[in-house]
Amino acid sequence: MKNSLIFFYVFLILILSIRLILFYSNQKTYTQGEKISFVTQVNSNPKEYSSYQTLYLKLDPINKVLIKTDTDKKLFYGDYIKVSGNLDILVLNSGAHIFTLNYPQIEANFRENNPALALVYNIRQKIINNFRSNLDPISSGLMLGIVFGIKENLPKDFLQSIQVTGVMHVIAASGMNVTMVSAFLFYLFASFIKRQLAIFFSILGIVFYTAIAGFEPSIVRAAVMGIIVFSAQILGRQQYSLHTLLITAFLMLFVSPELLFNTGFALSFTATFGLLYIPDLFKRFQNSFTESFITTISAQIATMPILIINFGNYSVFSILVNGLVLWTIPPLMVLGAIAAFFSFVFAPLSLLFLYLSLPFLYFFESVVGVFAQFGNTLNIKNFPLSFVIAYYLFLISIILFKFKK
Amino acid sequence: MKKYIIYLSLSLFFILGIFLYQGFSLRDANLHLVVCDVGQGDAIYIKTPSGKDVLVDGGGNDKVLDCLTKHMPFWDRTIELMILTHPDADHITGLVPVLQRYSVLHFVTSKTSKETGIYKKFIQALREEGLTPKYAFLNDKIDFGDGLISDVLWPSPDALDEFKSPARVNELSVIQVLAFGKFKALLTGDAQVKVQDRIVGSLSGIDVLKVPHHGSKTGMSDYYLNKLRPSLAVISVGKSNRYGHPTSFSLDLLSKYAIKTLRTDRDGEVEIISDGKSYWIKE
Repeated sequence: MKNSLIFFYVFLILILSIRLILFYSNQKTYTQGEKISFVTQVNSNPKEYSSYQTLYLKLDPINKVLIKTDTDKKLFYGDYIKVSGNLDILVLNSGAHIFTLNYPQIEANFRENNPALALVYNIRQKIINNFRSNLDPISSGLMLGIVFGIKENLPKDFLQSIQVTGVMHVIAASGMNVTMVSAFLFYLFASFIKRQLAIFFSILGIVFYTAIAGFEPSIVRAAVMGIIVFSAQILGRQQYSLHTLLITAFLMLFVSPELLFNTGFALSFTATFGLLYIPDLFKRFQNSFTESFITTISAQIATMPILIINFGNYSVFSILVNGLVLWTIPPLMVLGAIAAFFSFVFAPLSLLFLYLSLPFLYFFESVVGVFAQFGNTLNIKNFPLSFVIAYYLFLISIILFKFKK
Repeated sequence: MKKYIIYLSLSLFFILGIFLYQGFSLRDANLHLVVCDVGQGDAIYIKTPSGKDVLVDGGGNDKVLDCLTKHMPFWDRTIELMILTHPDADHITGLVPVLQRYSVLHFVTSKTSKETGIYKKFIQALREEGLTPKYAFLNDKIDFGDGLISDVLWPSPDALDEFKSPARVNELSVIQVLAFGKFKALLTGDAQVKVQDRIVGSLSGIDVLKVPHHGSKTGMSDYYLNKLRPSLAVISVGKSNRYGHPTSFSLDLLSKYAIKTLRTDRDGEVEIISDGKSYWIKE
């Protein structure tokens, strides 16, 4: 690296650090019994007990609150919910304190009333109706989950299986899914039309997708990151895309510092990074058949520790199951998006694409079904942070070593 | 580009394989009568000899969807006839998602109604599907045009007055005999012994009995079973349900007449197949 470049990044990191320190040191304080009300995104899976469930929610960028609520409240990763109640502050023996809310009021699937979004929800409902009247409940629910992060239509038993096998993240329209699909679309179009045109069509596709997914912030961020980085990748040298990725991430963090601890942000950042560099490590296996498989594996290698921390502590089979099913996600998202598009234009064609997706869906269902039988007897609990750091240092050094050669 | 065409062709190849497999394995000229395992409640799926799909009740949850998925090929999204014996929640609830997900051509029910939330939801779903109910009465006949005939035995028109009180909708359950060649099955809904004893007089040669009201104490009498003498009885009931169904009274009665009894809570779904001469139970 040139000196000026190093200087540039040191400068960026310095500015960002100041911004983060200022942001995190000026946070609101809370008092015992205070009445609070906040909107937040569910970031982990609830723990179920016989008569209640508990879940950690983000109260604000630095504080978490442990809520306890009835089991019949359905709370899913990625959902926006509005919570109101009286805050309890428990002081632990260690002197640290935790916030808790007992049986607060919860408004699930909370959405801001926005007339512009009403149209989108209308479209979305049409797509849901089309999918579920043409496919069986599990397949249509799985497809809606994978493509748009819509989970309401999944049968409860199958949802349980998905949770047990640790693949909940694929039906949450996470940043990683969007990143994988934007990469898929870019390379798909670039392989048979002019590069500039390919970028144009891919961006159209991604915008359509984010609209149907309800312009959820995490998806919009992942889409922006994907669009910028993969455009740079197709137009220029690999080094350009790394710089665009870093600068995009820097800008996003500068504008909203709370992203620092956001799972979706971490997933889209690491997945994009992985898609840029890890495929080169498999160059010797690369041919037109393994390519999409390698793409998926790359995203997976890059995001694995984050996935394990957030989802994988439910099952030791999680890594195996992910390895077996993740390659189906990009084709399913593309087929699903095309089917969704045609449900407005020409329904029979939509049906054709839904049928084409069935073999992938059946495969996914069978794998999840088989491994769900083993249950979640062996848990990886308290996954050490040091391992995560070591993992990424190791990954980066392999990539650096490869590029020095 | 070539790669994606190959992917799509592979997927097409697999889906054709599934198409052929389901086309052959789910199609024959027999009558299939499936008492679905839906927990506490009733849901009976019937495939007529020519392949028409009929659903009698939907159970108290959406498990009936799994039953339909299992027995209908993936491209068949049409239920030719839906019958609701009576509008209690453990019979009507599963019909709502069926209406939302399948195209239902005809709907037959008993001329009665309820004020419950699920009933209103059902009526709404019926309206969205563009269906108007046809009411079944004694002596009505549904001819499926392929040898399968349903004879409606209950309610009689004057029963509507007799059992007017909303608490007695069970008594207005649609009761029908399905006849295919020599094979006969009696579908009883939740009607209680008072009604069942009235219809049993004219019946003979019943092979399969759907035990009335999940095997409750007031569903069957000694007289009834003695008259009917089916060779197989099926009880649609949920594991450790809060009503205590099936009662030991009913079970004792069935064993007194040495009637082979299958229960959805123990045996899971029960599929009975008939070619019009004899019948057998699918293992």
